[in-house]
Amino acid sequence: MADTTQSQVEIDLEPLREILRRDFNPDDYQEAEELILGACQEAQLLYGWVPQAASQVIADHLGVSINRIYGLLTFYADFRTDPPGEHAMLLCHGAACFVMGSERLIREINDDQHLGPDGRTPDGAFSVQVVNGCLGVCNLAPVAQIDHHHYFGHLNRERLAAVMQAIRDGRPVEDLDGVE
Amino acid sequence: MVLNSRTDFERYASDAVKKWDARMSGDGWVISVGISECSLARGADKTLTHLRLALEANEFDAEVRQVGCAGWCWAEPFVEVRGPDHPPVVYTNITTDRVPELVEAFKHGNVIADWAMGVRADTPFKGIAPLDEHPYLKGQKRLLFERAGVIDPESIEDYIARGGYSAWIKALFDMTPDQVVDEVKTANVRGRGGAGFPAGIKWESGRRTQAWPKYVVANSHEGEPNVYKDRRLIESDPHLVLEGIMLGCFALGTSHGYNYVGGEHVLAIKRFREAVKQAYALGLLGENILGTGISCHVKTRTGGGAYICGEGSALMYSLMGLRGQPRTKPPRSVEEGVWRRPTVLNNTETYANIPGIVKNGGAWYAAMGTEKSKGTKLVTIQGPVERIGLVEVEMGMPLRELIFGLYGGMKEGYTFKGLQTGGVSAGPLREDQLDLTVDFDSMTEAGGMLGSGGFVVFDESVCAVDFARYLMAFNRYESCGKCTPCRLGTPALTEILDRMRNGQARQGELPLIERTSQHVIELSLCGLGQVAPMPVLGMMRAFPGEFDAHINEGRCPAGVCPMDAGAAVLSISGAV
Repeated sequence: MADTTQSQVEIDLEPLREILRRDFNPDDYQEAEELILGACQEAQLLYGWVPQAASQVIADHLGVSINRIYGLLTFYADFRTDPPGEHAMLLCHGAACFVMGSERLIREINDDQHLGPDGRTPDGAFSVQVVNGCLGVCNLAPVAQIDHHHYFGHLNRERLAAVMQAIRDGRPVEDLDGVE
Repeated sequence: MVLNSRTDFERYASDAVKKWDARMSGDGWVISVGISECSLARGADKTLTHLRLALEANEFDAEVRQVGCAGWCWAEPFVEVRGPDHPPVVYTNITTDRVPELVEAFKHGNVIADWAMGVRADTPFKGIAPLDEHPYLKGQKRLLFERAGVIDPESIEDYIARGGYSAWIKALFDMTPDQVVDEVKTANVRGRGGAGFPAGIKWESGRRTQAWPKYVVANSHEGEPNVYKDRRLIESDPHLVLEGIMLGCFALGTSHGYNYVGGEHVLAIKRFREAVKQAYALGLLGENILGTGISCHVKTRTGGGAYICGEGSALMYSLMGLRGQPRTKPPRSVEEGVWRRPTVLNNTETYANIPGIVKNGGAWYAAMGTEKSKGTKLVTIQGPVERIGLVEVEMGMPLRELIFGLYGGMKEGYTFKGLQTGGVSAGPLREDQLDLTVDFDSMTEAGGMLGSGGFVVFDESVCAVDFARYLMAFNRYESCGKCTPCRLGTPALTEILDRMRNGQARQGELPLIERTSQHVIELSLCGLGQVAPMPVLGMMRAFPGEFDAHINEGRCPAGVCPMDAGAAVLSISGAV
């Protein structure tokens, strides 16, 4: 299934090539191997996922096999091998968020938003990923991070739904952290 | 500008100090805004922009600068204002809507006492008490966090102005590598990543091994679900960590240093890379440093979000561009580590302790803390407490004082139930066990652990079985799958706890948990697997009544567990 999705998406690989040319110039093969994960991070940051074509670019640039890159992409939780929704949401499930109720929140968002097995909403507006680690902004627990930089804290069922609706509608979310 | 000798450095340093003093005691206004991942989440970047615009609109001349995180996450975004006859006042929770009022106040030389956390002075200023007397800071002893929130983390000049790199100079010109190792041994600084292994002993065996090249690696992976000390440290004072790694390289006589940072810590990675770049530009890193003939190179490598990569051997495989899975030991990593070469691996916080030790001597360091745990510890406490954040306290501080003093006790409406210790690798402590202290050994007997210093306070609304299941499920999810006891044992344990949560518990579940746990503990390959069942065993020990209620009475005292869901779930799948 991932293959059909991948073939349908047009990816501009030039920005990735440019980053690789600029920042990823190993002196030897040993260093090239050390740089693979970092290069994958760049692709993930650029596209929101690591398309097969991007893996191939990285593989060619560093002189490693694409199989090895796929092996890494499927081991490390940061990477996606299929495209995310329009907005990528990380829902923190660290211990601090847990004690503030993130487990129930995850159950509720699953029900309310009808998330698919890959965490996508049916309309493709969001892909929700539960983070097992910690986003490190525990004072806002339970907290979600949307599109890398925007944090929404002190979430509950209603607030999260409101935040998601606002983003769907392209409206700004006024109250950033939900503190009364 | 490249520095070529000690004199060059000393001249640069004294210029930096002059510049710093001119800024901090001169006639100009200085407005500092804390920019770190936690303050950005609260919109500190917007506060910074609004401040700049407001100053411009008011035609008020001031230097607006960014500083790092000062540990008070509960008070972000914070703004520090100083001017002539106006000592630095720290204001908290300065969101954009408060900016105009704040600017209006200091423009006329006034203060807003209600928003102020304190003043950086020995005496009160216009009704604002000294910062050091604030309950959050009073009990702290800040060695690593001394500069955090004061200097600009992206400025090497600031770091040097505040005494930075003097340990590096001292080592380069006045000490031998053996002397550095000796000081670290005398200091008896123990590994801050969780295991508490003495760094000096590690360094000594690393130094003794005769195989080249050798590597020095800092573990800044930090993938646990309740710790953020390393990333804040790097975000606030990246040069301190870098200097520690450089001293490690010097002690081992190698020029190869690495910092492995978890891929999700974007700002920490950015600031550490910037720090390395600046150190190269100044000639403190590179070939023939300050004309001594000594070379040192530090590279930044990033991970990809796998908890297991915090384990030493897994981290090294990840660094080498492989799947991060641990291997059997021996050989230990000081014999065969990165690229099968001798490698000394320490936690970021451990490295951050080294410059102070080299500068002031191991004995100075060893005088702090308890008999077996020296120095200070970065601690983070989360959960429903009044002030959430990061503190640095001297080893030996009682947990009660920490939680109910520094952290201000429980938020209104919450009752303390327990304190989860040691991340996901140990059990909780009850209220009556809070007289135990912050150090490596005292909590162990009670089933707790200092670990990397991440604690979670939980209240009566959290069910012990449910929490145990959460911690177990984390370990299950993060199991790398290499060895069978962990790969199969952690799901088995999660399953038993799920049965309890869903009201399907059978008789004999508790002995079954104990037996399964024993297998996982004794047979798992790596340290993380060997402690994976600890939270469950700890919860069972601390709150036996709750487990009993789930099993024998079919009820969840906290009212969290879906006690009647199990039957439905099981009947759908047809497996009873």
